[in-house]
Amino acid sequence: MNGDLKGARRATRLIRWYPSAWRERYGEEFADHLEQEFAVRRIDLRRSINVAYKGLAARVDDIGLSANAVNPGAQTRAALGTSFALMAIMAVLALNFWSWAMILWSARTYHPIPVDATTGILTVTTGLLLLVLGLMVLIVLVSAVRQIVRGRGRRLVTPLVFAMGSGAFLSYSVRWLPNMLARYSHMFQGGYRWTHPGPAAYGLAFIAHQVTQPWISMWDPGISGEPTSQAVMNDLAPLAVLVFAVAMSFLLRRVELPRIGERLGSVTVVLLSILSGVFLLTLVAWFTAGGPMYAAFGETGNIAGVVYLVFFALVAVLVSRSGLLTRKNEFRYARNQIEIVGSKIE
Amino acid sequence: MAISENPLAGLGRNAGAAILILSSLAGGEKHGYALVKDVQEFAGVHLPPGTLYQVLARLESRGLIVALDADERRRPYRLTAQGATVLAEYITAQQRVLKTGQARLKRSWSVA
Repeated sequence: MNGDLKGARRATRLIRWYPSAWRERYGEEFADHLEQEFAVRRIDLRRSINVAYKGLAARVDDIGLSANAVNPGAQTRAALGTSFALMAIMAVLALNFWSWAMILWSARTYHPIPVDATTGILTVTTGLLLLVLGLMVLIVLVSAVRQIVRGRGRRLVTPLVFAMGSGAFLSYSVRWLPNMLARYSHMFQGGYRWTHPGPAAYGLAFIAHQVTQPWISMWDPGISGEPTSQAVMNDLAPLAVLVFAVAMSFLLRRVELPRIGERLGSVTVVLLSILSGVFLLTLVAWFTAGGPMYAAFGETGNIAGVVYLVFFALVAVLVSRSGLLTRKNEFRYARNQIEIVGSKIE
Repeated sequence: MAISENPLAGLGRNAGAAILILSSLAGGEKHGYALVKDVQEFAGVHLPPGTLYQVLARLESRGLIVALDADERRRPYRLTAQGATVLAEYITAQQRVLKTGQARLKRSWSVA
């Protein structure tokens, strides 16, 4: 094998550290540059580390977590996709947390006012979060299918198959839900009162907990008498949540959204960041106010509880960061477009 | 110009490399490897490839440089009017610092 071919192969290998959008824009010239450097100095560990490190940094830029996207016009979409993936995983955990909190809260006869207040805020935040995410899923899926039907959606097929497949799997894993709804329908009679949650809120929380529990717990020993296939399905459900979130984030980045969706992109990222922040703060307030708690979330020294809190905090920080950067970037991008056009005219 | 409006402010540790690249492009359009050679020549600094392309991408997204049509696989870059202004402002500020430093060294230490 001659030196040129070896150099080209090494350059191709090194460029794999970078995301595809970056490779599309800079790949050719960067490969040429590396090959020229290899001709002068064949092996250089510091150079390889530099390329790998900057490639990873470009990947962080690419998912909308920095203000330096290769294509600043696509930054909002990247931030929207990443925020969705993080928030979808958080929403499953949040719904599970909320449902347990409600079940335990309903079981008590007296609560201090801060506990009642935080329960209300948690309910509203979780509800809004699910509403926003649900709308996003609906808009993206409809837009993706429409684009594929029109023959412009080749890049959408794979993430759509994964999103639909994992979504179907998750729905099938809770196929007993209609029966349960019928069995507990009496709980939904009586309405909802903030001062006392009533059976309707309890019933909603109970069902939400039944749905989300298999989605968050892997290697659950299962219920005695449950078929093995159901136990296996429950074990794979958290993976399906992850696949669904990632597939949806890819769709969000690639799909042609209706004009209103494009305009609301950055507003949605900001809304998601506010909701994640409010949820985290209310969660901390709930603990501080002494809200009744399930061991996995609230018991001192329980590692699962610490992991949940750290995850919620991380999501809140990352989504808030992408929200702030999106707003800032949109302003900068618009200004630069004007200046670049001006510079070309000169 | 306020710091928040300075296009170099967000470059962090790469601000030095950005100034070297802008200074090199002030002498005319160049592609990546020619830029590295030029910077090496006038500043004695070798820009690693990952750093070079990270900074080129950031300067381009900030509108300080513009990529021209590729000549085979090599794509030359050109300084924009905004890039020239930013570089000029940076140099003026640095000259002020240099003059002050030199004057004080001369007065208090009889050096320089």
